[in-house]
Amino acid sequence: MIKIRREDVFLASFFIPALILLFIFQLIPTVWAIQFSLTDMALIGKKFLNPSYVGLMNFQRLAEDRIFWKSVGVTFEYCLISLMWRFTLGLIFSLYLTSKIFKGKTIMAAVFLFPWITPGVLKPFLWISVLDTKYGTANRILQLLGLPAQSWVYERAMLSAIAINSWAGYAFPMLVLASALTSIPKEYYEIAEICGASRWYRFTRITLPLIKFPLVLCAIMIFKEDIDDFTYVYMLTDGGPNYRTELLSLYAYHKAFVYYKLGYGSAIGLVIAAIAFILGLAQLKAAKF
Amino acid sequence: MRGEKSRLSRSLAEPGIKIIGYIVLAFMFIYILNPFVWLFLTAFNPHGSPFLELPENLALDNFIAIFVGTTKMGAAAHSIYMATWIKNSLIVAATTMFIVIVTSAMAGYALSRLDFPGKNLFMLGLLLIGFMPSLTKLLPLYKLCIIFGFVNNLFGVGIIIASGTLPTQIWVMKGFFDGIPRELEEQAWICGCNRLTSLFRVVLPAAGPGVMVVALMSFLSGWGNFTVPLILIRSEDLYPISLGIASIFTHHPGEVGLVVDYGVVAALSIIYMIPSLIIYYVVRRHLLKIRLARMEVR
Repeated sequence: MIKIRREDVFLASFFIPALILLFIFQLIPTVWAIQFSLTDMALIGKKFLNPSYVGLMNFQRLAEDRIFWKSVGVTFEYCLISLMWRFTLGLIFSLYLTSKIFKGKTIMAAVFLFPWITPGVLKPFLWISVLDTKYGTANRILQLLGLPAQSWVYERAMLSAIAINSWAGYAFPMLVLASALTSIPKEYYEIAEICGASRWYRFTRITLPLIKFPLVLCAIMIFKEDIDDFTYVYMLTDGGPNYRTELLSLYAYHKAFVYYKLGYGSAIGLVIAAIAFILGLAQLKAAKF
Repeated sequence: MRGEKSRLSRSLAEPGIKIIGYIVLAFMFIYILNPFVWLFLTAFNPHGSPFLELPENLALDNFIAIFVGTTKMGAAAHSIYMATWIKNSLIVAATTMFIVIVTSAMAGYALSRLDFPGKNLFMLGLLLIGFMPSLTKLLPLYKLCIIFGFVNNLFGVGIIIASGTLPTQIWVMKGFFDGIPRELEEQAWICGCNRLTSLFRVVLPAAGPGVMVVALMSFLSGWGNFTVPLILIRSEDLYPISLGIASIFTHHPGEVGLVVDYGVVAALSIIYMIPSLIIYYVVRRHLLKIRLARMEVR
């Protein structure tokens, strides 16, 4: 039997403000999202105040929605490619930050972190100057090298969005990898050196296995972040051209706030939540909770 | 120890790798910094364009235009709102920071000092709430906010953002409080403090750097958030900067007679970046110490 002291009850009351906030603004909306997705609620008009219950109709329509399936494909393409590119950049930069060969770590760290500390909305806006077809910096560099100019934002919209997203988000894997790399005991490398191991061998047999665990956790967190966020595509292309950059989250936003189908949008939101929830469980499993 | 290390590294450094490394680094710097070069050149260029070009003369005209409005013919009418946007963003960020610090400090402190059955499950639940995509919650939040009167209300936006970042910040706070010895508070109790006053008078100051990190991060999440105001703020004079900048490009595509004044927008962007830069400067030493390992989920 646990003895309850007055002191502890007072201390437990410290949870109340946080719990009230979390309950009202996080838990209730989650429950409502499930409830909304079973109705034909609209954002305005009569259907907003008293929507009617339609069962699983929204999900049924989702299964037949061509654009929905297209956006599922688009979302996974976006998430996977940016995940890979973010990790590649993050790994390269963290190697720069931790290796002892290169000088100027302070400047490097500041430059590498610059995109990360830039507020989110600015990022696509900044990239317009680079990606513009006629006068963009990217095409000017291409022309300088004697290559034909490309239509980035229109014909390669997905590639542009991924470039911006990974430019904006490589810093997190970089920081995690850098701190993982510095925590590897130096003796391992010294022993490998004595045994005459090559640089590549040392990297694949010592470094990689030891940073594998933070790597996996980091990957899951990034995937979850990407599947949730639509700021970049919203500002760059708004889902166009021909739904080629319509991420699931953006599609839910469009359905709910542009076409006013709140119920249908919630159903899409729940699909995203299901994916994120599975990822969350995977993270806990990976963390051996 | 240090000398030994550098001797070892010198013997490891092969000249070929070094040269290739610096060349790759130069390319990466171009990839990273390219957009910022345009931003800074345009912000100080009175005749800014959306493309990279060297300004004929540098001036602060654009920054002045934000606060007093622009006199240029046909330039963006938006600039009349820009000073208000900055104020709005400050309100949202300050609200977020205040609420997060008070609630997460109290909850984190209780979590750190109290042992109860199911504590681990509670912490896990917090983590899972944090994993809920913000978009899924945002659609019902809209209806909830109508009930609370949070639509077109900057404080409401701040509260919503605060509740979104709260789970993570409670975890962070708990971590910092775990490192503070209990004797410190016991002394405060003897002097007549109760738990609440000792928390805010003794423990919080002792947890200084940690509280600083939480404060700055929550300020930043309020300052930079885009999706919450996108859904809750409907009138233009209540936009925070994030929504304002987005609205210049998306909500008025090619409106007749309006030309986006890129110089002014770039200047506004630089103002928008200042808090982030300050925060980076303050926490830069701690950034390389992020640990993502077993100890985080414990």
